[in-house]
Amino acid sequence: MRVIILSWEYPPRIVGQLAYYVKELGVQLVKNNVEVYVVTYHDYLTGLYNEPEGIKTFRVANPVRTHTGVLTWVLTLNQEVERAASNIYYGANKHIDLIDAHDWHFIPAAVTLKKALNIPFVYSVESLEEHRSHGANSPFNMAIKSIEWLGMYEAEKLIVKSEWMRDEVSRLYKVPLEKVKVIQPKSAGWIKEVLETYKSLKGRVDYES
Amino acid sequence: MSRELTVMMLTWEFPPRIIGGISPHVYNLSKSLAKNGVKVYVVTCDFPGAPQHEVIDGVEVFRIDSYKNPSPDFATWVYLMNVNMQKEAAALVNGLDGKVDIFHAHDWLVATASIGLKHVFRKPLIATMHSTEIGRRNGIHFDYERMIHETEAWLTYEAWKVICCSGYMVSHVQWAFGLPADKLVMVPNGVDVEPYGKVENEDLSSFRSKFAMPDEKIVLFVGRLVYEKGVHVLVNAIPKVLEKVNAKFVVVGNGYMKEQLSNIINYMGLAQKVIFTGFVDDETLRKLQKCADVSVVPSLFEPFGIVALEAMAAKSPVVVSDTGGLSEIVEHDVTGVKVFPENPESLAWGITRVLTDEDHAKWLRENAYKRVCEKYNWNLIAQQTKDVYETVLKEYSKSFWA
Repeated sequence: MRVIILSWEYPPRIVGQLAYYVKELGVQLVKNNVEVYVVTYHDYLTGLYNEPEGIKTFRVANPVRTHTGVLTWVLTLNQEVERAASNIYYGANKHIDLIDAHDWHFIPAAVTLKKALNIPFVYSVESLEEHRSHGANSPFNMAIKSIEWLGMYEAEKLIVKSEWMRDEVSRLYKVPLEKVKVIQPKSAGWIKEVLETYKSLKGRVDYES
Repeated sequence: MSRELTVMMLTWEFPPRIIGGISPHVYNLSKSLAKNGVKVYVVTCDFPGAPQHEVIDGVEVFRIDSYKNPSPDFATWVYLMNVNMQKEAAALVNGLDGKVDIFHAHDWLVATASIGLKHVFRKPLIATMHSTEIGRRNGIHFDYERMIHETEAWLTYEAWKVICCSGYMVSHVQWAFGLPADKLVMVPNGVDVEPYGKVENEDLSSFRSKFAMPDEKIVLFVGRLVYEKGVHVLVNAIPKVLEKVNAKFVVVGNGYMKEQLSNIINYMGLAQKVIFTGFVDDETLRKLQKCADVSVVPSLFEPFGIVALEAMAAKSPVVVSDTGGLSEIVEHDVTGVKVFPENPESLAWGITRVLTDEDHAKWLRENAYKRVCEKYNWNLIAQQTKDVYETVLKEYSKSFWA
């Protein structure tokens, strides 16, 4: 199985908890014979690297250097993520089984890659704008929420890390419960559950042409 | 090529959605490309009452949800709209089995969508730069402007070729983004003379009498009433023109300077000599251009100057400021009169020259009309654009993406 993981933070760039989790996920997947590519952001360590643990990382920078906030920054970074993912896809003879997108940042890229190249994706929810912004509903927050909604609508499956979060995505975004998989990180057999979720996706997107 | 050349145009405006000059440009270009055997798909923003999919003059038009949620500012809306545009265009190309040869983007307003599509489908991208942020703002002063400027730079970087509509814009865009000279191609903007032919034989005397007395000449200005269009230069030229000729000045368009301008005109005691019509429909505009004894374009900044071409198509003699694209459209004393920019004396001289010498005016309008038909017709422009496509595809066929 060949998987592309999208995450806006990944070591050595650490913003919060997500970087460590994605790294651990990658290491465990490699141990289970999954070919893992991580597409992530770094301002200058750009390009393709082979990590000692067997993960391949592809870091991209933002071509637009000046921004008015995180939202415009994210929206111009997505095309570089698409470029990196496409390079991996064409380099792998157009065979990528799925994309695992962590949080909202690279959802636009995941959606385009699905629509264009028929690669299904999982949306791994780390946190939600509703909780990060304490319910604020400015146009800025609403825009991020609309991207979260798009991800939940277009994803084949959601992976959340607690039952509370499953209830929240269901409450806030009306996602059907059977679409949401609760996997507690590092709990017994968690990686097996991730793998099973991945396998349930293989070949799910098949557009009529 | 075994099948017809296929292009996907990305534009934020397409009729009936008309914000500025890109909409008629993309419409006329697409239509003329279709007549020249190019399969054209247009992906654009939705508009109330316009269908999601339709075929207009052989062009397949797809309108996408343009993200109608409130946005923090215009640029953020543009980037969010591009998420939807890219998603829909991606599904469309996938549905066509990838049978799109080229993506053609118009301005930074579709930059992010088109750049992503280029990489995902590995097809060449061509960008037409209709304007620039640094030109519109006369410099880059704030982060917001710089963000747009850098997005434009990125689009020109990712584009295989960059098309500009005048030699002036070619050098401006080359300077603004530091591009290699061989990346830029000049393909002029065009004007469709056909609608002007329709009002050719109409008796416009009663229409004319709504604007001017029979003994008054009509001096016509068409444009947004903003600083860069130089309408204030025209206002200062009015008394000097009236010393020599009896004329009525008709000002078509709206803008933030309107109130200020009409106050100044009242103070100058010229209220009976100037009419502000506001925005008018296409037919009224064409009739006005037909009736005008002279059309003036006194712009300070002008990437192209389509309004001068339209006047020339209407067989109205033109007086333009010698700047930007206008310098190239008009040949002095052959297809119009060129005057110094931001100089009321010079502008008054030009207007008076045309109004007081009927033989000269006739010579100018005949030459100008001929020039428009020869150089600025959409069929020719479509062929030039198709040549650019074919050149790019030939280079592309030797790349490892092909």
